[in-house]
Amino acid sequence: MEKNSAMTVFYLKTDKNPKAGVSAFLGRMLSQSLADAVLVSARTPHSPLPMPAVITDPEKIEAADPLAPAAPFNAARQAVSILRHESGRKIVLVLRPCEIRALVELVKLKQCVLDDAVIIGMECRGRMETPIYLEKAAENPDLTAAFYRDPGLQDAVCASCRICTRFLPQAADIAIRVIGEPTDERIGIVPQTPAGQDLVGRLGLSEGPDSPGREDAVANMRDLREQERERAFQETAGKTDTIEKFQKYVAQCLNCYNCRVACPVCYCRECVFLTDVFAHDPQVLMRRAAKKGMIKLPADTTMFHLTRMAHMAHACVACGHCSSVCPSHIPVADIFIKVGNEVQKRYGYEPGRDLEEPMPLMVYDKPVVE
Amino acid sequence: MSAFEPKIIAMVCNWCTYTAADLAGTSRLMYPHNVRIIRLMCTGMLDAKYVLKAFLEGADGVFIGGCHPGDCHYINGNLKAARRIPGIAAILEQFGFSSERLELKWIGASEGPEFQEHITRFVETIRALGPSQAATAMIL
Repeated sequence: MEKNSAMTVFYLKTDKNPKAGVSAFLGRMLSQSLADAVLVSARTPHSPLPMPAVITDPEKIEAADPLAPAAPFNAARQAVSILRHESGRKIVLVLRPCEIRALVELVKLKQCVLDDAVIIGMECRGRMETPIYLEKAAENPDLTAAFYRDPGLQDAVCASCRICTRFLPQAADIAIRVIGEPTDERIGIVPQTPAGQDLVGRLGLSEGPDSPGREDAVANMRDLREQERERAFQETAGKTDTIEKFQKYVAQCLNCYNCRVACPVCYCRECVFLTDVFAHDPQVLMRRAAKKGMIKLPADTTMFHLTRMAHMAHACVACGHCSSVCPSHIPVADIFIKVGNEVQKRYGYEPGRDLEEPMPLMVYDKPVVE
Repeated sequence: MSAFEPKIIAMVCNWCTYTAADLAGTSRLMYPHNVRIIRLMCTGMLDAKYVLKAFLEGADGVFIGGCHPGDCHYINGNLKAARRIPGIAAILEQFGFSSERLELKWIGASEGPEFQEHITRFVETIRALGPSQAATAMIL
């Protein structure tokens, strides 16, 4: 599915400041009234950490910093908050590939509609964990530009990003191309759908030939990520291939359910783990204690993680935010991404690939067994 | 040392396999006592949690019995179960539970002998696999 190779590339001049280049590009959509609002990761006056923001005023767009290597959460959930029903407003969303994948899954789950939306996806070199990003941002005021220049900084991305092989924004209307591009000079803009072509066509950007070495840069990055992913999967398998080992893996779990809160595809308004199903009567806990002589409280830690896998593994977009928010620093994402991969293989399903691809449990006329 | 007797949880549909189990009983067909039958109104209501819970509580095997495709009392509940189970099996395999420990079979209401046959065979399969690792582990 290498759609990009045959597509026209337009270029934005960046003049050593890719952040300003991208925000000017988005600003023109607002000032030319091609968009009513842009949802984009932007700095607030109070922190260098970009947060998803809805920007309607072209004057405010300079705060936008979608290329910053930071994402405090998967912004698909924020996108849903403004797309829950048709608004008649043209909304441009600037998202990472994993955020687009999550958004596609949430559309399938009828959490939002994309009728009014144009998705701009950025090619993603990854995000740093928030504390690391803040540390680096304190040392380097222009971290966004430095990140694309400095492989050392690129190595500081989080564990899930280091094993991500789906770093191109496949389902986006427009791709922001940074891999294999001299980002200090220019960034590529690639329309991938008719809606994207229409929008880009109105901006009067200059077309250009593919940057030399672009294909190789993508292939190299994919190879490296694939190797890293295989290694990570094996390491995780070694730590979890018996239920006893998995107990060690989650031994520090507090049952805080932060991983579930951060998960973009865990969409239930009321999680079963917050219902009476798991609010056991004291007698039940006593009986369980008596059965083995001892139970740990809160109970159902393993049950929680396995049930969550049963609920969302087929839709896991591998964003890694579950690990990022774990107060006990359990590498939750490592096991979820691995199990997700297994379950997705079994159903021949790839979450976020295509809006038209039905989720595995929504079709049942094709049994997987017998 | 006493010989290993597997603990099997069978979750079976009210309209077919449960009736088949009843028929096996009234027909005096012997099958292993290792199986604990839980009646569901339909395998379509089989929640992944039921299977996971059974394994985490130390079940050595889980057997699901539903109506033959086309015979579901609720039109297609059995097909939904058939779709759901491979995903659950994939998760269990990650943690070292052999996929042979989870089985789905279609057994119609009149198939008492088939019920006997499937349960007997399943118990032997599990006996050969040995006790589940969760039976002795402390599960958090």
